[in-house]
Amino acid sequence: MISVNDLSKSFGDLVVLDGVSTNIEKGEKVVVIGPSGSGKSTFLRCLNLLEQPTGGSVEFEGVDITHAKGKQLNEIRMKMGMVFQHFNLFPHLTIRRNITIAPVKNKILTQAQADKRADELLAMVGLSDKAEAYPSQLSGGQKQRIAIARTLAMNPDVILFDEPTSALDPEMVGEVLELMKKLAEGGMTMVVVTHEMGFAREVASRVMFMADGKIQEEGTPDEIFTSPKNPRLRDFLSRVL
Amino acid sequence: MDFLTTIKDWFIEFGDKFYNTFIVENRWMYLVNGLGTTLLITALALVIGIMLGFIVAIIRSTNQRTGKLKVANFICRIYLTVFRGTPMVVQLLIIYFVIFGSVNISKVLVAVIAFGLNSAAYVAEIVRSGIMSVDNGQFEAGASLGFGYTKTMISIILPQALRNILPALGNEAIVLLKETSVSGYIALEDLTKGGDIIRSNTYEAFLPLIAVAAVYLIMVIIMSSLVSRLERKLSNDKRK
Repeated sequence: MISVNDLSKSFGDLVVLDGVSTNIEKGEKVVVIGPSGSGKSTFLRCLNLLEQPTGGSVEFEGVDITHAKGKQLNEIRMKMGMVFQHFNLFPHLTIRRNITIAPVKNKILTQAQADKRADELLAMVGLSDKAEAYPSQLSGGQKQRIAIARTLAMNPDVILFDEPTSALDPEMVGEVLELMKKLAEGGMTMVVVTHEMGFAREVASRVMFMADGKIQEEGTPDEIFTSPKNPRLRDFLSRVL
Repeated sequence: MDFLTTIKDWFIEFGDKFYNTFIVENRWMYLVNGLGTTLLITALALVIGIMLGFIVAIIRSTNQRTGKLKVANFICRIYLTVFRGTPMVVQLLIIYFVIFGSVNISKVLVAVIAFGLNSAAYVAEIVRSGIMSVDNGQFEAGASLGFGYTKTMISIILPQALRNILPALGNEAIVLLKETSVSGYIALEDLTKGGDIIRSNTYEAFLPLIAVAAVYLIMVIIMSSLVSRLERKLSNDKRK
């Protein structure tokens, strides 16, 4: 579904990604781990071109999208949802409008259809009573669940999660991970950058360890967590587990 | 007894002056007509100021964020430098006597253009700061949902920016109202000029000028209360 070839990205002299290649198949749940500054968020942001790669290519559903622009780029992003560390809900809109704005403004659903879809999504994330509330009235965990619902409203083929629980108070991490587990069980293709090793072990179909802008090691959660080969990975795990 | 006579005399004298200043020859109409002209110029200049100001602000912030529109941004910067760097009265005189010097054009229209262009320069910087104050995450959220730059700007960024800058915009409208008092420099009979005409007819300065000041003050108080009411309405969603 997503094919990454020799992807690199530098900001000035700073090389953040240094030749990353991988394939992400439909239905996979890829969890990206690594120390901070390893390039994992930048890798994720290159997939939907929030960052423009400086080298290599990204293919999505068989099409090279590395230099996509305008309408083509917008259509790709409609199919690639993204959930942000800081939620980035729209503070001036109600929860319902936050969820419906994308399908309505992109002329995929009418407002009535989108409202119906929003009701279903709100039920799914367990926040039906918050439809008319504003983001500032929600807790961090609730905001992130709404952000996931907002992404789902576009019916994406894949969802990119950029440290979705890093900005949350510890007691709210669980509710967001539960929801992500539910999505995973429903067969959603997911790429997740996270520090939640428990989630990686339980949900990932593949764990990718990044350091110094490269994929140092990847494999099943079992391979990565019980028999890590790369010394950097062993060092990293010894510090986070 | 002397004291009472003094007070009585004062009231009689005041009554005479008041009568002379406002009632004789319907002089109060100078103030009424002047206020009409002042409000007309302010309102039309405000429309120009806001429309042009938004356009300039969007060009400038688009350039700041994406590096596009280099030429347009350069022109906008010259415009801002010139209009914010020279006195309003001088701009009004230049536009009236130099730019429209050889054309027969309504003075009100000249004033509207001059005050509109001047106000737009200030509005532009207010709006630009409002746009830049919206978190970059909002642009990214818009982009990640498939919105292009324009759609993100219109549906997501500008509504938030507008709410943040409303007090500053209201303030700019108040400044504009007061600035129009220099319209007399091109012989426009606005509120200030109206009071001044009365003064020169009656040789009595106190009453007409105080009356002019009071009318400005009342207008400003009304505008302030309108702005704060609008502000409260728009911020409802933030903290209910």
